[in-house]
Parts: sequence; C-alpha cells; structure tokens
Amino acid sequence: MKQQLKQNMDKLMAQGATYVDARWYPSEESNSLLMWNGNLKNLSASSQSGVGVRVLYHGAWGFSAASSLEDTAAIFEKALDNARTAAERVDFPVRLAEKDAVRASFVSPNRVDPFTVPLTDKLEFLRMMDTKLNQSGVAQRVAALDFVKRQIVFMDSEGSEIDKTIIDVYPTFEVMGIDKDGEMQSRKYKSARQGSTRGWESLDPEYFSGTAERLVRELNQLLVADNCPKDERSVILLPGIMFLQTHETIGHPLELDRILGYELAFAGGSFVRLEDFGSLRYGSEKLTVRADATLENSPGSFGFDDDGVPAQNNLLIDKGILVGAITGRQMVEEANAKARRQIFSGSSGANRATAFYRVPIERMTNINVDPGTDGSLEDIVRGTERGVILDGDKSWSIGSNREQFHFATDIGWLVEDGEVKGVLKNTTYKGDTLKFYNSLSAVGDESTWEVMYVDNCGKGQPNQIMQLGHGVPVCRFDHVTVGE
Amino acid sequence: MQQSVIALLKELRAYALEKSLRAAIYYHEEDSYLMRFANSAISLNTNEHLVRLQISVYDGNKHADYEMIADPNQIEPLKRGIDTAAEMASRAQALSYTPSIPCYRETVIDMQAYDPFLAGITNPERLEFFNTLARGLETETIKLSGVFSNGITITAQISTESEHSQYFACTDASITAVLSHQKLKWEVNALQSAQAKTELNPEHLRAELAFLVRQYSQNPAVQLPLGKYTVVFGAAAVGDVLDIFNWVGPNGGMMKRGYSFLKEEQIGQPVFSPRFTLTDDPHCQATYPVSHDLTGKRRERFPLFEAGVLKAFFWSQDDADEFGREATGHSVYHNNLVLSGGEKEVGSLEELAALPREEDILYIPYIHYMNIVNPTAGIFTGSSRFGALLLRKDGSVTVPYNVRVTQSFEDLFGERLEWLSREQCAHNVSLSYGERNPRAIWVPRFICVRGVEISHSNSSY
Repeated sequence: MKQQLKQNMDKLMAQGATYVDARWYPSEESNSLLMWNGNLKNLSASSQSGVGVRVLYHGAWGFSAASSLEDTAAIFEKALDNARTAAERVDFPVRLAEKDAVRASFVSPNRVDPFTVPLTDKLEFLRMMDTKLNQSGVAQRVAALDFVKRQIVFMDSEGSEIDKTIIDVYPTFEVMGIDKDGEMQSRKYKSARQGSTRGWESLDPEYFSGTAERLVRELNQLLVADNCPKDERSVILLPGIMFLQTHETIGHPLELDRILGYELAFAGGSFVRLEDFGSLRYGSEKLTVRADATLENSPGSFGFDDDGVPAQNNLLIDKGILVGAITGRQMVEEANAKARRQIFSGSSGANRATAFYRVPIERMTNINVDPGTDGSLEDIVRGTERGVILDGDKSWSIGSNREQFHFATDIGWLVEDGEVKGVLKNTTYKGDTLKFYNSLSAVGDESTWEVMYVDNCGKGQPNQIMQLGHGVPVCRFDHVTVGE
Repeated sequence: MQQSVIALLKELRAYALEKSLRAAIYYHEEDSYLMRFANSAISLNTNEHLVRLQISVYDGNKHADYEMIADPNQIEPLKRGIDTAAEMASRAQALSYTPSIPCYRETVIDMQAYDPFLAGITNPERLEFFNTLARGLETETIKLSGVFSNGITITAQISTESEHSQYFACTDASITAVLSHQKLKWEVNALQSAQAKTELNPEHLRAELAFLVRQYSQNPAVQLPLGKYTVVFGAAAVGDVLDIFNWVGPNGGMMKRGYSFLKEEQIGQPVFSPRFTLTDDPHCQATYPVSHDLTGKRRERFPLFEAGVLKAFFWSQDDADEFGREATGHSVYHNNLVLSGGEKEVGSLEELAALPREEDILYIPYIHYMNIVNPTAGIFTGSSRFGALLLRKDGSVTVPYNVRVTQSFEDLFGERLEWLSREQCAHNVSLSYGERNPRAIWVPRFICVRGVEISHSNSSY
C-alpha cells in the first residue's frame, strides 16, 4: 500500500502539484459501552479504514478521501482536480513552513491494549460503577467507557513517512437528581489523566469508586442547596471547569487559522490580532500558558501532527503577555507575511485531522496553565473574602471572537470571609475574556494541577471532533458576575 | 445504484440468517462535496465518498451494534462485522426490557428528496455560484468567507425479520456566505438551504448581503445598554432555537429522564402563545424527509404544539420499549420540524427595516454558540452574530455590537410572542461531525418577541 501511495504522490507532483500527502488508516477501532440506570443501553464497536489525500497546486488545497481502496489513483486525481478548481480563486498562495523530512513512529504509552480486554471485564467495571452510583437521591445514573485505537500512516512528497498507533480510554459517569424545587441537578466525572499511561490499566477501580461516592454525596447536597447569588464576587475555578475556561477562551482564540479568518463562516474568529503577539496583556502576571504536545499520557500528545511535524512544548502566554499561537505549517507563513515581521519561526506542530476523511486544521494539543505559587485550594479559599468555588461543566457559550463567555457549572460552594459556607446550585458566571484573565489573582500550586481530557472539541467544515488535554490548576478570578 | 445496495443488504441478511441471528442492517452512503472560502479565496475544496454499515444484533433482551466505514466491494469484512456484533450481543448484559427488532412490512424505495441535477453539480458551478453572490461586494478590506456544502445521502435498511428492505436517496445543499471587514471585524452573512438545484439562488443571497454591507458600512456601531428589548429574530435564530428546543422539549425519552422542561401532564394544556404551532411534518420537502422511519413505521404528520397547546411527546422505538409506550415513527435521523407562519406580511430584511414602528426594534438574525443553561427551566443562552441591527423608531438604523441573550423558551414562545411572518423558509441545521445527515427546519422568516432581556453587551466587534 505504501508503495502505491508513493507512486501516486510522484504522479501528482509530475502533474504540477507542489506538495502531496496521504494519510492511510489501515485500521481505526472504537468500542463504547454505556449503562443508564443499570441498563446496558449502548454496546457498540466500530472499525474504519481508508485514505485521505491532500494536494497543493498553484497555491491552493484540494482534498479527497474514500473508504474504498479499489482505485487509489482516482482518489489522488480527484484531490488534484479539487485543487485545480481552488487555484482559480487564490488570495494568498499557500506556502508551507520548512520542516525536516521525518521517518519515524509513535506509539502512545500503554501497558494493556483495551482491545485485548474481554468484554466481560469491561462490563464488570461498568457494573461496579453503576452499583456505586445507585444510591438514594440519584434519579438517573450513567456510566460509560469509550476506547479508541488508531493506526495511521502518514506520507508526504517531501519524504516523510510516519507510523502512529494511538490508544485512548475515556471513562465518564454522571448522576442526576430532582431538587427541592423540581429542577434537575447533576454531578459528573469527565475523563482525566490517571497515571502515566493511556491503556486499560489507567482505569483504577479504587479511584473511581471513591470519586463516585463523592459525586453522589455532592448531588445530594445540591438537591437541598440554595440558588447561586446574583452578584459580583470572586470565582475559584476547580480543574473541572478551569479546563473548559482555558479551552474556550485561551485555546480557541489562539488558533492561528481563527486569527487569520479561516473559520469565519462557522466557528468564528478571534479577538486576537497579529500585532498583539509580544505585547498584548492577556492576563495578570500569574498567567502562564503553554501548548505542550509532549505531555505524557494525554490525548493532546500524538508524536507528530498531520503535517508530519514533531510534537512540541511552546509558550503561548508568558506571565500574562501573549507570545505564541497554535499553528500548522500553512498558517505561520501567511501570518508572518501579513504581519510583515517574523512572529513565528515555524509550525508548532498542531495541525491535526480527526479521521482519514477529514483535512488537517489547527487543533489544540495540551493547552496547559502552569501551576502557581498560591498554595492549595484551602490556602486560596482562606484568602478569599467573598467568592464562590465552581466545578463541573454544565453549559458553555462563547462569543464568536471568543471575546466574552457565559458558563454554567454543576455545583458551587459559597465562600465568605475565607470559609466555605455551603453548597450552591444553578451556578453561572460570565465575563469578558481579557478583563477576566487580568483579574486572575491566585493560581494554585502543583497539588491542585490536573490534566483534564476533552474528547469532543468541535471545529471546522466539514466538522471535526478532536481529542486533547488541559493541565490546569485551581485559579481565582476577582469581580466576576455570577448567578445570571 | 439502488439494486447494488439492496443486493448487498440481502446478501448480508442471508448470512445473518445462516448464522441463525436476529439482526438489522443499516446502510449509509455519502458522496459529499465542500468548497470552503476564506479571505476571498477557496481555502479548501474537498470530497469524501464513504460507505458505512451498521449491524445491530438482538439476542433476547440483549443487543449490540457494530459499525464499519469500509469498502462495500469487499463482502468478507462486512460479514465479519456481523460475526463481531453477534459475539458482542451474546456477551452483553440483558436489558430490563425487550428491544424491538425492526420488521419491515413493505419494500420502500423513496427518492422524493433526490434531485439528479443537484446531485450532478460540479466544481465550476459551485465556484460560479459564489462568484455571483459576491459580485461587487468584495473590497480590499471586505473579504468573502463561506461554504458550499452539498452531497448525496443514501440510506437503506433490512432485517432478518422480513424480506422487505427500505431505500432512501436524498440530495442537499447548504450555503453560508459571509462578508467580513478585515479591520473593523464586523461580519454579515446570508444562508441558503436547497434540496433541489432549482432552489439555489445566488442573486437572492447577493441582495441580502448587499443590504447588510450597506448598513454596516454606513451606520455607526454602538454598544447597547443592557435591558429589555423588542427583538425580531431571523430564520436562522428561530431555527437553531427550535433545534435545541426539539431536543429538550417534546422528546418522550428526555422527559422521562428528567431533562425536559415539559411535563407529561401538560399534554392538552396551553404552554405557549396561541400563535405558536409546531409540527413534525414529513411532507415538508425542504426538511429532507423520509417516508418511513428506521423501524419501518410510516412517518405521519405529528402535531407537537397547536395554538400553544402541547399535543404530544414523540417516542423513538428504543425509548418506547424502555418506558412502555407506543413508538410514534420517530426512530429517525432527524425530525421534520415546521413552525407555522403568522400573519405579518414581511418577507425580507429590507421590508422589515422599512416597516413603520413605534419603538426601537433589535433585529437578531443568528444566535451563536447556543447552549442549555438549565434544561428543567428551559433556559438557553447564546450571542448575536452576523448582521444584527437596531431599527430605531425614527426610521434610522444603528449597528449594535454583539449581545448575549439568556432566556427561557417560554420567554420566546409564550405570551411575549408578538407576531410571526407569514412567509417561511428553510433553515439548514445540518452538522457533519460524523455521517452526512441533511437537516432543515421550516420556519417563519421573522418572529417578533417583546421584552427580551439583553444580559451582556460587547463594547466592540
């Protein structure tokens, strides 16, 4: 197959293409189990295979993909034909940043391949979770396991050839109950890093058992809790919501394709401008953020991106100042040219596609907030006069340029005079992105830092769901509107 | 084409029967094309030809699914998929209810939503469409973005319970055209949904864009004070609200699980304004209907709200099995929602702007990034985007920076619902995160709601 791909790439180069790459998925497998109130509502598996071909011709992209490999030459020809049409309307001819040709492989760290684990073991884990969740006050309970294994072969006309095998495990569970006012409340666990590997062994029954007990306890507190006050106060974001705050208002606005206007038809733009790099005060001095695709054990670590660029660890925000972006090979060249200065010295290795049948675009890797020096959660609470601790993503809505946001969380805890006073329900907060991050007044230390997984980040047309991670500490922001 | 698909399904059915399995086999084929524009250039031009096969095996109260994106010409891997599903089902945990396996009572060939002319549209035609709609509107600072997405979707089903099969073919196109100012960062858009090629009308999009660009270029932009406004929502805003409403509203399974803001005892009771009539109407061609659902039930016109009165919840087969209800023909890829029009004679934005008015009207054409804040209370939030206008009572027009709306469905469709336009249109709500599934909602071009709370107001674009 590789030989066939190589021959077809050569053929297109001979026809005037300036770059060709192919992503062949010999196999992608998934397995999902979902138990709802004890019923195994979903037991499914899937497999997919096929080829996606990307061609650069006269400064324009063409792409084609098919699940049938009967006529691979036709897929390449179709991609070239699409590029020829695209070349009729070019504004800024695509140029790719330099990179080395790479012949390499990447295997995500795993000890036990979940696809070798018997179904009975997976069911036993789910039943254990279901039993733990089946407690007084819980009206609905959901426990789910998702497993993915991708084998990807990347080849390009510059001589790169990369084999990747990536395995991920996503456990999730949720409990819901009807509160004293007849409203539904919920607590949930979303996948997060457990240990240093990404295989079946990352499912630690003891950890999940304890977490389930905590969430059921918190749900029962929610069922009799008061509503969130509607006022202005400090918010202390636990990793269970800080990851999403980071994702939506740092990660997305720093995707270079959004900044350059490539997502305006759908996902939106960014309030960040090219002239902001190096000078914009994004947040207080306590805010340092990096895109770290080298982080061990996270879906945002993948060895090499779909441009064939090795994984990197780059600063995005340094002590509050904007210094970097999430980039692929195409966008850095265009950004530097449009800014008339070299902002970016090369791709940051963040161009990824969700499947063989989708084209790579700028995607987050692990967008992490560095831990700070303000101690533990307890230390931060002690230093808070009027605040609310928030956890659990319930809803999120962000302005099209990521300039403002509104989040609802599963749970809150009222903080008065440095003490936690009780549980709050229907907790929400909103703000303007820059004002919010500039009000960052405390960042928790390593003990508060957790890597949360995101397995459903949507972007692009055709739409793509991507998996990534966020390492975040507990953070406190002041003068925030809550309860709306 | 249909013969080869049905022949494949019959061969797989025969294999399942040989193995003494009870199985349903679902075929999905898409031939998708997407031309994407950004910065006044074609930024991407793609096509994907994908065949998906889902096999559902039933073993008493046990059930498992196996899905493949595979080569339909290679039959052996597909048969292995049946074996895998059977193996999984045999080891599954029994459900507390018996899931119904589809039994198709008649052979169905449904091509009502297929247009051979749209199916055959070419790269040059897609490009010409965009060149036409943008003619004379692009400048050095005003750039074109957008998407021309079209495709053919073929779905087919068979099960071991009968020899009959179902085959559906559909064509669709969804166009988004955006003009944005590179420096000022405003953006306006125009949308079109088509099931047939004759519905494609670039001149119509051009007229909408030209009007909006004129307003945004000539009128000052302002930060709106927070507070209550009379708001006219455009078709995209209404369609997107109804799309999310459909999910957490009259959905029987969601109601039983506590996610709906509606309760069963509200059936027959007035819930919204008498002006609000919402129907799931599989006869509305613009919404990409099919004649039968995935279990073989004939799709019928299904009133959800009539003059504000809740008429019924809809039940998929699985939810009906679990909760002991009668399935209502809603095991579907999507409903075919139709919000009835009203009596207001206003068919275009230009006409809306020209209407005499006694108060300021905030026009919100599109709600960006909507989400449910509180499902039980039916509260959603989202931001305005793409061409909002403040139509002042003195006849002048101001351009507002984006605002946030956090309201309940009752706030929108209850007693504050002032009027709905007589003219309706299709708003395309297709997403293509996975398989192609063209969806549209048929809505009034405009609805007017009093007292909408603006809870956040941007200070710039």
